[in-house]
Amino acid sequence: MSDLAQRQRRIGRIAAGVLMAFAVFYGFFGLTIEYSFSSDPIGPRGFPAGLAVVLFALGAWYWLVPGSTEEWPEQEGRIAALTFLVVSAACVLAMDWIGFVPAMLVLMTAIARLFGANWTLALVNGAGQALLWWLMFGPLLGGTLPKGPLGF
Amino acid sequence: MSFDFLWQGMGVALLPQNLLIGLIGCFLGTIIGCLPAIGPINGIALLLPIAYTSGLPAESALILLAAVYYGAEYGGRISSILLNVPGDAGAVMTAVDGYPMARRGEAAKALAISGISSFYGGMIAVIAMTFLAVPLSWLAIKFGPAEYFVLMVFAFATLGSMVGHEPVKTLLGCVLGLMLTTIGLDATSGAYRFTFDQPELHDGIEFIILVIGLFSISEVLLMLESQVKGTLKPLAVTGSYPSWSEIRTIWWPSVRATVIGFVIGVLPGTGASVASAVSYTTEKRLSDKDGTFGKGDIRGLAAPEAANNAAATGAFVPMLTLGVPGSGTTAVMLGALMLYNIQPGPQLFVEQPKLVGGLIASMYIGNILLLIMNLPMVQVFARMLLMPNWILIPGITALSILGVYTAYSSVMSVLIMFGIGIIGYLLRKLGFDMAPIVLGFVLGKVMEVNFRNALALSGGEFGIFFSSTLSIILWIMAVAIVVVPIWLRRRQAARAAAA
Repeated sequence: MSDLAQRQRRIGRIAAGVLMAFAVFYGFFGLTIEYSFSSDPIGPRGFPAGLAVVLFALGAWYWLVPGSTEEWPEQEGRIAALTFLVVSAACVLAMDWIGFVPAMLVLMTAIARLFGANWTLALVNGAGQALLWWLMFGPLLGGTLPKGPLGF
Repeated sequence: MSFDFLWQGMGVALLPQNLLIGLIGCFLGTIIGCLPAIGPINGIALLLPIAYTSGLPAESALILLAAVYYGAEYGGRISSILLNVPGDAGAVMTAVDGYPMARRGEAAKALAISGISSFYGGMIAVIAMTFLAVPLSWLAIKFGPAEYFVLMVFAFATLGSMVGHEPVKTLLGCVLGLMLTTIGLDATSGAYRFTFDQPELHDGIEFIILVIGLFSISEVLLMLESQVKGTLKPLAVTGSYPSWSEIRTIWWPSVRATVIGFVIGVLPGTGASVASAVSYTTEKRLSDKDGTFGKGDIRGLAAPEAANNAAATGAFVPMLTLGVPGSGTTAVMLGALMLYNIQPGPQLFVEQPKLVGGLIASMYIGNILLLIMNLPMVQVFARMLLMPNWILIPGITALSILGVYTAYSSVMSVLIMFGIGIIGYLLRKLGFDMAPIVLGFVLGKVMEVNFRNALALSGGEFGIFFSSTLSIILWIMAVAIVVVPIWLRRRQAARAAAA
């Protein structure tokens, strides 16, 4: 068996293990759901318990036959993905404090940079998109967007 | 049954004022449908007070709202095909074959196929509605919890077609989708399941959050990976429309999907997402001889599109004839009828012929208007893909965030969407398909609720699932859809061996 196939097999088995562990966790919490009454004989625990058993069995099948996986990203790719996720989460969390437009300006600029734009283009894109989406989803469609100290 | 209402309705719908209203509604609907999570229901809810306060007569208001409805049904496909961001629940299956077509430069063709199959689905369904509305409304009444459960079993049976060369991954996807439906308040017992005292989880995972996370955010992460590797190239956009032979190719898949979509649309509570899912999997089972479904097959695009539009039309049947809305959007339209002091029911066709006829006639005209309006526009929409990635991908991210935030006004919902996006990315890297997860999610809740309701009705007797003719027919269909293809394959293999 080639190195790549062995690596894929290992990754598949790790995923299968995670799924089986999740099945145990899900089943445990499913069986401890609290309820005072149920109009049906199954109750709110039955369906989750059944699904946990099925997931565990399928997880075991997956562990036995892990199949193939796609190539995983190198370090540079992992850093880029992590940057995207961290900046996105930070901007979303900051939206309520600093307002929609400033948060989007930062996020749009950062993503444009990740996708190869230079700083000038990224900033112009960030400002343009932040204003465009605010205008469309705010004043135009009447949506409620977070307002910061500047009012947008 | 007399069809006087239709002739009277044509007179109403063809009034220049109502034609213009229909055109405006189609246009607004297309734009609204493009934006994720805004969708037809919010579009109609936004326009309803405007229509009422502006003094539009009831038939004109209904024509406007119906035009927005099917305009949005089409508009939802645009972001689904071009960006892999489904505009609404019914557009999820559209992305499965539509997005690969766009990726290989056939965005204009994919949009045109979507428009044409939507037209097929919409028109055939309106014709069916004209002639069968009242008789079909009785079918909706016959469906109790047991029949709904068996219908969901049938829907799951069609999923057999999704099983690829790694069936365990398809099945795992389905189960994960089913599990997601168990999060939140259990309607039958009032218990909170898997909410961990988080109020944001009390209503469960919303469909739009799941879909945008799984499709859009995971796609951005995959694109980012390609960008870093240097393999992400700007897309080419060929200007070609589908050929006549391709238009002919999608005819039968569209007809089959329309029948499925219309019948499912008539049943209250099932909706376009179930219709498009079942029609896609059925079509895949019937037509995917070369394994091209999921890789940009026009039949795989046409089937859910036709089914979706047929279901949207079918949802009007119980609303008009029984006063029972077949979908969230028709529930808002039912509110519109009540705003005008109109009581829906079987007598509506006799008591308000101009209104019902006007609405149905406007659907005929609206479908034609939508096709005429959107076919030339596909080139314009497709050119969106020519934008550099540093504009396009921030735009996809912004639309994803806005789609969720404007729908739920909650930062936590947006974060959950990103969390689902990460899981989606990991699953895609592991070789999982996203469609079975979505299908498990769509079918799961309806299945569990009806399973338990049926058992509550029968006092725990499982015989209820086999007690009606309808249930038995559905069981036979479910078994047949699994067994017949296997039997046919074996027979073919036996013949080949004998030869």
